[in-house]
Amino acid sequence: MNKISPLANTHKIGLYGNYEAKLETDLLSIREISNIKIFQLFKYKMSNMDLSNLFLEGHKFPTKGGSSSGNNSLRIQWQAPNIWIIISENKNISHEIEKKCPGSDFAITDLSHSRAIIEVKGNDALNVIKKGSPLNVNNFVKNNCANSVYHGITISLDMINDDPITLNIMASRSFAGSFYHAITDASLEFGFKTI
Amino acid sequence: MLEIKCPYCGNRSQNEFAYGGDATVKRPELNSMISDQEWDEFVYYRKNPRGNHLELWHHVSGCRQWFKVFRNTATHEIIQTMEMKENP
Repeated sequence: MNKISPLANTHKIGLYGNYEAKLETDLLSIREISNIKIFQLFKYKMSNMDLSNLFLEGHKFPTKGGSSSGNNSLRIQWQAPNIWIIISENKNISHEIEKKCPGSDFAITDLSHSRAIIEVKGNDALNVIKKGSPLNVNNFVKNNCANSVYHGITISLDMINDDPITLNIMASRSFAGSFYHAITDASLEFGFKTI
Repeated sequence: MLEIKCPYCGNRSQNEFAYGGDATVKRPELNSMISDQEWDEFVYYRKNPRGNHLELWHHVSGCRQWFKVFRNTATHEIIQTMEMKENP
């Protein structure tokens, strides 16, 4: 059985927009993040579990609104009070989650095939967001995350790095095509390469 | 365009939110006899004041939480936002 990523038929590798007379390092870089695991974790209201001792692959669960934790291969994003999204390249992350987060305290939902994720990297990455979202990203720093809208599409935004600025933008799979075109259209004026 | 301070996410643009109605309306007690007039008032009648008003809002494109907004309907000033369990 073949796995088809949400943007498999949309994302084509190349150089686009205002890329001429620019160094490749100055261009935005856009890629689809696929073949990963995405889980939503919800802590029950009646649960008394102390989150300060809860770590996943050595990373703490963020309890402050708008913050995320992790590294390039694992992200834990705060979504709402007692709700997190876990994005991991580790195919066995579900076992780890089940071990750390018992079913008596947490509801775990596998969203791996229902989301599309685009990574936008480069100095103008935040300008791409500003062109389609009302979110104020002027003070956005590494390990900040937020849910917002981008041209009417609900998105989750996560800054995984600040040098160069690297954003993971996640939307529902059913909006993947429109979402990709909205992001790439906004990126044309800066010039971008797709990888 | 309003900027609304979600109690969980901070200041966000109005187009991330959905208005959820008057927060002062109370459902009649369950299992008690109520008149048609009381039921009508719960379902249909709203005060619609010009001035300070307590409203329900939903951060539908953000944390998806419901919360209360105390605002002035004449000046659009948002005086206070709070979690559902709180009151102004």
